[in-house]
Parts: sequence; structure tokens; C-alpha cells
Amino acid sequence: MINKMKIGFYASALLAMGFVGCSNVGSVQEEEVIDDSLPQGAEGGEDNTFSHIDIYPDVWEIVQRNIDVGPAKFRARLHSCSKIPNNSLRNVLDSLGVDTNSDQNLSAGRIFRESGPALGAPNYEARIRENRSITTSSASKAFDIYVQAAPEIIDAMPNLGRCQIGGQGPEMFDGADNCTENGISCLIGSKATPEHVELCNETVTRASDVEIGKRMAVAVLAAAAHTCE
Amino acid sequence: MSRLLKTSKTMSLLLALSASAMLTCSSDNPTSGGETGGTGDASTGGAEQLDEWDQALLTRDVDFNAALRSAALKLTGRLPSLAEIESVAGGVDEAAQKAAFETAVADYIERPDFSRQMFYWWRDVFKTGGNGQLEQAAAFAARISVEDTAMTELFTATNGTCTSIDRATNTFTPDDCQNGVPQHSGVLTHPAVMSHFFGNMAFRRVRWVQETFDCLAFPAEVGEPQDVGGVAPYNGVWPFESISGDETGRVDFLDAQGVVCANCHQSMNHMAPLFANFDEDGNWQNNIAVPLPTDGAPTAELRDWLPEGETTAWRFGVEATDLPALGQVLASDVRVAECTVARVWNWALSKGDIVDALEQVPSDVISTQLDAYTTGGYKMKSLIFDVFTSEDFYTY
Repeated sequence: MINKMKIGFYASALLAMGFVGCSNVGSVQEEEVIDDSLPQGAEGGEDNTFSHIDIYPDVWEIVQRNIDVGPAKFRARLHSCSKIPNNSLRNVLDSLGVDTNSDQNLSAGRIFRESGPALGAPNYEARIRENRSITTSSASKAFDIYVQAAPEIIDAMPNLGRCQIGGQGPEMFDGADNCTENGISCLIGSKATPEHVELCNETVTRASDVEIGKRMAVAVLAAAAHTCE
Repeated sequence: MSRLLKTSKTMSLLLALSASAMLTCSSDNPTSGGETGGTGDASTGGAEQLDEWDQALLTRDVDFNAALRSAALKLTGRLPSLAEIESVAGGVDEAAQKAAFETAVADYIERPDFSRQMFYWWRDVFKTGGNGQLEQAAAFAARISVEDTAMTELFTATNGTCTSIDRATNTFTPDDCQNGVPQHSGVLTHPAVMSHFFGNMAFRRVRWVQETFDCLAFPAEVGEPQDVGGVAPYNGVWPFESISGDETGRVDFLDAQGVVCANCHQSMNHMAPLFANFDEDGNWQNNIAVPLPTDGAPTAELRDWLPEGETTAWRFGVEATDLPALGQVLASDVRVAECTVARVWNWALSKGDIVDALEQVPSDVISTQLDAYTTGGYKMKSLIFDVFTSEDFYTY
């Protein structure tokens, strides 16, 4: 039913945007009848319409989306990638042992708390919901947070209630500085694959020293896994 | 680029879009009839053709691990536990994994965390929040979602609409709103909403109702084009002169020199007077309490929206004489139910807002969930379970 309304909606947009009709298109002479002095969209003009925001959809955006991703019947059935909402991100950090109340300069908790706008926090006073789209600022800020959080996560992991089975929590790295499967599963919230373990180990071994490598491995895995909700 | 060229190009694109939308309307869900079209329409020969997009959908893989993480984050705001991850991943086959996944989803929507997640979700749907009073509408919606009351209560509840939430325990406390309204009608009479969306001629309130519950920006009613002497046709369904022009009121909604105001205002003007008695604080007054957008901001009068003899309505032919009547109409409108299902669908599949981000959900895609929702008593928990355990949710 919404589809039927949408058809009408497009038709309405087509007509209401000021295009007189098919019969008036296609002749060079008809360019002369278009009056540029007429207000466009819903912008105001003296003695006619009141100026207000034009709420017609951006048809170019729809066209581009159809080209890029496919029609709605296809697109609607695929998962998109929205960012983790800020309240959930806080829970995720908490559940990984990060002190989100930390006031320490450059701590993950402090960066998180001070990054609301960059992370797309809502502005309800302006009637704006939380921005769930991934933006450059939100993705880069999230990575900053994971980099700073990594040492806390590595230290806390054996004691994380969420990741304990039979009272036993996993280590993120074993005694030989190899990434553990359960540690990665705990970190990313999903069953770790051999590829995850390989990527993690490669990140550790390629770093200038092991501790930096471990930190980078945790940050990279977390940022990649938690890019999308 | 010349104006004409731009016009022609845009028009072509719009026509193509319309054609594309029509194609979308046709039933071509590959899961409904299978590849061979076994349940196809006999009138079309029974064979269901799969286009390139249907074929692409068939290439997706089932991934209960990814689905578990996504469901846990959305429904509880937390990552799944390692035990839950192992429970799903350790299933001996796909059926066992599916069963473990469905058990986890059923558990998630019974947890206290789910109450908080529902509250956050409704806060974003309503675009209201940030202080105690502004959060009460979302808390009310979250409460009836969690209590598994019919979601039609959003429009018909006569008490308990000013609900508060205790963030520490994720519990709700219902209270009656005290804004002097003759009869409460869910969020339609909610003081925080009426205050938050206060504006000239109550149009901001109307737009909120339209976009939030019908998932469609204005124009909401579209009919055959009619020449009304403007630069573009009027293509509404109401008679063109069923709303006020400057001979009747003080704003010319019949203006057609730039844009045909009536395309949107045909619907808006028939609904807005219903919300006009709420003042800036959301309190009901005995008289109209919203201004006109003219010099001095005089108080609007009924004649500014509608000429004499016209009555308020949700849609052409669907009268609503007051807000309780509007609530009943919204509660029984299948488009409103479909909008709720589409919003839950978009949430599950990580889409943006259906109106703001133009994330349309074709009816075919959610027909199964919509049928279950409307025949099952408009229960939010059941809807969420259906959507989060649908094949599209656990297939990537």
C-alpha cells in the first residue's frame, strides 16, 4: 500500500515541482514560456506562498540510490550498516571493561563522553533524532576510542562477566602473544573465524613491538566489528 | 545547463522513478512462490520471473552469528555473551543454530534492557527527548510496546499517557497527563508532543502525525491532475476549493502561481484544526491557540484553514470530528499499521528513517509480518520477534 502511495507521491512531486506536463517538453521554443521569476518549490514570494521548507524528496538521491544499490524491493531486504547508537556503544565499552566514567585525559571513557556531536548524538530540542549513519567523524572518533580502550580491554578480559563460561574468562592473548579465539569472540560479539585470528596475529607481529601490536590488533578488530550495529 | 534541459532531464528521471515504483508494486518476492513460481498468479500464466535483483537475493548466506550480534545490540543494547555466541555457533546444523538464535531473540525481548531499548527507539521515532516531560511520550509508547498492549493504544489510550521511565531499573510508571484536554487520545493529545511541535496553524503537529505514523511526507493524497489555472496542475483528491483561499481566510492556500499549495494543504488543512487548541505549552484551551504566520502573528481562526461547511478529516472521505475520532481512524488504518511494521523492519535491517532517509519498504517485503501484526492484535513484541527471526534478518 505504501508503494501505491509512493507512486502517487512521485507523480505529485513531478507535477508540483512546476513541470507543466509531457506535452510542454521537447520543443526548443517552449523554453521561452518558462518564467524564471516564479518561486520554486515551497519558497515564499510576495503576495503568494509563505516561505517554508520544501519537503519534497530529493529525487536525485532516489535515482542515485537505485543506480548504486538497486531498487527498493531489493534494497529493503538487505542489511544496511548503521552505527552503534551511543547508548549501546557505552554498554559495549562497559562490557569490555572500559571505564566510561574516567576523567583521565585522552582516556577512552573521556573521549567517548566528550564526543557526542561527532558520534551523531540526537538533538531533540531541534527535533533531530540520533544520526545512525556512519560518518567520517563518527567512524574516526570510534576508532580513537577503541585505540585508547585497547589496553583496558586486554587487562579486563579474563574478568568480564559477559565472556565467562563456567566462571572462566578468556585471555585476549595467550602466553606466546597469540590472539585467542574466545578473546576475539568476546571482543567482537560474534564467533571468531580463523581469518579473524590470522588477521589479529598478523597485526601483532607486524607492529614495531608486541605491546603496540596487541593494542592495534584489539583496536582494529573492535573498530571493524563494531562499525555496524 | 539550461532550465529547459534540466526540466526535461528531471522529468524523465521522475517518470522513470514512477515506472520503477510500479514495477516494485508487482508481486515479485522470490520467497513467495519459489524459483519456479509454483504459487504464481494463474492469470499471468503461473510462471514467476526472477529479475537480476531477485537472483542477487538468492546469493545471500545464512549467518546466525552475525544475526545474533545484531539482535543483541538492537534489542538489549549490549553484545551477546560468550555463552550465547557459543550456543548459536555450536549448533550441529542450520536448524539447530536457528533454534538457538530464536531462543536468544525471545529471551532478549523479555529482558529489562529491552524496555530501555524500546524507549530509545520510540524517542528517535518521535524525535522527542532530552528532558523529563519530552521523554514521556516515548516512554508511553515504550510501555505499551513492552507490556504487549495493542499498539493502537498510541492513538486511543485515555489514561496513563504521561509515562515516566526509571533508567536505573528500566521500569515504567504511567500517569495521566494534566493538560486539560476533554478526552485523552494517546500521543495525539500528549502535552509534550503538542508543545514540542507547536507552530503556525498547528501544521508542525500535523506533519509529525503524518510522517511518524503514515511513514510518508506530504503530499499524502494524490489524485488525477486538474488544471486550476496555475503553472502546474493540482493533483489532490479533495475538491480544490475545499480549503481556504484569501477570500475565505487570511492565507491563500489556493495559490498556484509558484507551487500548488493545495497539493499538501488539502490534507493538512483538514487535520490541523483538530490540534489547534493546544497552546505553546501543550495545554488545551477552549479556543484556538496557534498563530498565523502573518504580521503580528494573530491567532488563527477556523476560516483560515477551511471554508464554511468543510469538516475536519484524516483523509478525503474519512472524517474525524475531534481527536478521539482521529485516534480511532488512525487505529483502524492499515497504512498506519504498515508504517509501524516498516519502521521495525528498517530498525532490524539497520536502515535510516523511512521518511527522512527515504528508506522505503515495499509492501511485498513485509506482507507476512503485517498480516501477523494486524491479525494478532497489534502486539509490538510479537512483531519484533517476527521481524528479527525472518529470513531476511539472518541472511547476509
